[in-house]
Amino acid sequence: MKQILETNGLVCPFPLVEAKDAISDLSVGDELVINFDCTQATEAIPQWAAENGYPVTHFDRTGDAAWTITVQKA
Amino acid sequence: MIITGLVVGLLLGFVLQRGRFCVTGAFRDLTLTGNTRWFSALIVVIAVHAIGLAAFSSLGIITLEQSAFPWLASILGGLIFGASMILAGGCATGTYYRVGEGLVGSWMALIFFALTAAIMKTGPAAGLTDGLRSITVPDGTLSATTGLSPWVFAIALSGVAVWLTVRHNRKLTTPVAALPPRRTGLAHLLFEKRWNPFATAAIIGVIATLAWPLSAATGRNSGLGITTPSANLVTYFATGDVTLVDWGVMLVIGILVGSFIAAKASGEFRIRVPDRETLLKAIAGGVGMGIGAAIAGGCTVGNAMVSTAQFEYQGWVATFFMIVGAAIAAKATIRPRSAASTPVPAESRTA
Repeated sequence: MKQILETNGLVCPFPLVEAKDAISDLSVGDELVINFDCTQATEAIPQWAAENGYPVTHFDRTGDAAWTITVQKA
Repeated sequence: MIITGLVVGLLLGFVLQRGRFCVTGAFRDLTLTGNTRWFSALIVVIAVHAIGLAAFSSLGIITLEQSAFPWLASILGGLIFGASMILAGGCATGTYYRVGEGLVGSWMALIFFALTAAIMKTGPAAGLTDGLRSITVPDGTLSATTGLSPWVFAIALSGVAVWLTVRHNRKLTTPVAALPPRRTGLAHLLFEKRWNPFATAAIIGVIATLAWPLSAATGRNSGLGITTPSANLVTYFATGDVTLVDWGVMLVIGILVGSFIAAKASGEFRIRVPDRETLLKAIAGGVGMGIGAAIAGGCTVGNAMVSTAQFEYQGWVATFFMIVGAAIAAKATIRPRSAASTPVPAESRTA
């Protein structure tokens, strides 16, 4: 299953805080799409995913200062 | 040659933005989740800076002044600054570079930070600030108390920094995801690639060291600083007194421009207007940061990077209480939005 978390407009650390909260409700194998526009989260979210052993299945820009990342719960 | 301040500022703004260097994030992670990665990077900044200062002092390139330790102001100002930077979403420097990224909340935080810093340092509340800062104990530095050379402390701290760097750069089993590259060579490195926080920290330490002789050459015998220059800029705007525009003022203007160049060239500049709550928090945070930094005698740069590197008690005590203040504010204000954060299943989502 794939879930989408919109965090555009939220400043750091809130995109990551929301992502942690959202992924706790998912089952292993589910994917969480996080859309965000806080620059520092381009560092913080991939790092968090790697430290937790969650694979990132998609990560790209969606415009100026806007990104999307898909993290799979593992 | 105050123009060198502008050049150092441009470099620093660029490096801070590209490196996503955020002391607020460091203190927040440390206290909210126990993650020490960015705090360790700050230790690297201080260690590199401390070695640089010890070397420049030994070579006679700069002369560090000894001052007493304003203990009460360091504690009080540190607490106020630490809590306020959480509200503002960035410390003073972090706010400067987010201004360059186009975050309107940071514009408000910066304006109120600079304004209250001016009120507290040279304006009507200067008496209060001076009164608090006059409560001191004589020995201001570790060297003064112990009689040991600053090299002893610089080398000891560097040992810690190296250990932390090695520890935090062990390879993770899951690779850290990167954006698909669109550029190559130098453009990729400068405007796209994710910078390692420890490499960024080392560069900041070098910039902070080089700032000293360049600033001293213009008659301003100190290193990087944000609070006093920000206050001077406001006072200059209000009075037209051009003597206030010194190396430090050029430095903070440079940080703004440098971070804007970095963000624009990387496709990371966009005017972003926050919601009402975020905006009000940014304003309150800016006000508190101005008050806290004026009382503490510096922000996360002046105290946590520069005063610490001189092994002054003010820097270390203010930094410790900034962390305490940040912890209190983070625990009180940072939690997920309750209902709104429930993610929607992709299938049921309307475009």
